[in-house]
Amino acid sequence: MADRLTFESVNCGDMLPEVKQHVDQEAIWRHAVTSLDYNPVHNAPEWCQTAQVFGLPVTVMHGNQTMSLMATVITGWAYPVGGRLKRMEVKLIKPVPVDSTCTYGGVVTEKHPIGKGQDFVVLDLWATNQDGDQVAVGTAQVTLP
Amino acid sequence: MGYLEEMAKYQKTQKQKDFSADFLERQQIDDYEFWDQIEIGKETEVPEKFEVKAEDMKAYAEGVPDSNPVFYDEEYARKCGHDGLVAHPIFGTQVAFYVLRKGHGSWIRTPGARNPGQILEWYDPIRVGDVLSIKLKGHDKWIKRGKYYMRYLSETYDQNGTLKARGYMTLILPKSREDVLRFVKGEHALEA
Repeated sequence: MADRLTFESVNCGDMLPEVKQHVDQEAIWRHAVTSLDYNPVHNAPEWCQTAQVFGLPVTVMHGNQTMSLMATVITGWAYPVGGRLKRMEVKLIKPVPVDSTCTYGGVVTEKHPIGKGQDFVVLDLWATNQDGDQVAVGTAQVTLP
Repeated sequence: MGYLEEMAKYQKTQKQKDFSADFLERQQIDDYEFWDQIEIGKETEVPEKFEVKAEDMKAYAEGVPDSNPVFYDEEYARKCGHDGLVAHPIFGTQVAFYVLRKGHGSWIRTPGARNPGQILEWYDPIRVGDVLSIKLKGHDKWIKRGKYYMRYLSETYDQNGTLKARGYMTLILPKSREDVLRFVKGEHALEA
């Protein structure tokens, strides 16, 4: 189990451990099969050459996979101590073409001492591609014991 | 080998194997609801239910991928303070695509759809054995920079009527059935 993270031990400005993930077509297909999102913009390379939904002739990662990996920054940090996501708002800024490598991170920006079992922190979240461009930003509320 | 045959290699769960996966199939598109048909304010309780099995929850975490053992090991999850095996926070995606196959809510399957962002709220953990249902309400639709947006409210309930999660989901969609059919043929048809 991870070091004992608690609401009391967290400070504004604390950075969460980053997650880095390369996404090739196999990874996109695996996510599609498990999320049941078979939209061809993610899965059909030949179709994407002409349909170009995002103005690109290649497949792109699912937006919900980007959100899932942003959530993974939180699950890796808070879930081993019983923490929970209670709210997440994400804006997907740029499409992530197949064969991208993105980094997902977060920082604590607010502490809300509501009461035992209800205390929560607010995080800023981001995802950047291999060129350092932001592909998604967001905020999250996470309850901590 | 076509892309659907390639993808079939990764299917593990019963729901994955049973799912009708060809989003370009003309017969399925005939059952969709298109941007220009969406009634704002209309509420729908989706008839299809989703019975949660451990294999569904584990498969979602694998597909992220997220190797955190709280998603795979019930005993470990309990030691961490959870009340059982944990569903990945975005597991609801699988639930939504499983139940939203036609009519109101089928927008998520539309060829040409884009996802500009979501707001998600969680109220009660999803547990193995839950039978989940979804209520939808068209919240807003608008045209911006030549693109057709819509936002809907999605609420997920369990078999006891407990609210599990709520989402404000935004999509950019092809405007009409004709535009979707152009996408099916591999033509770009998103802008006004």
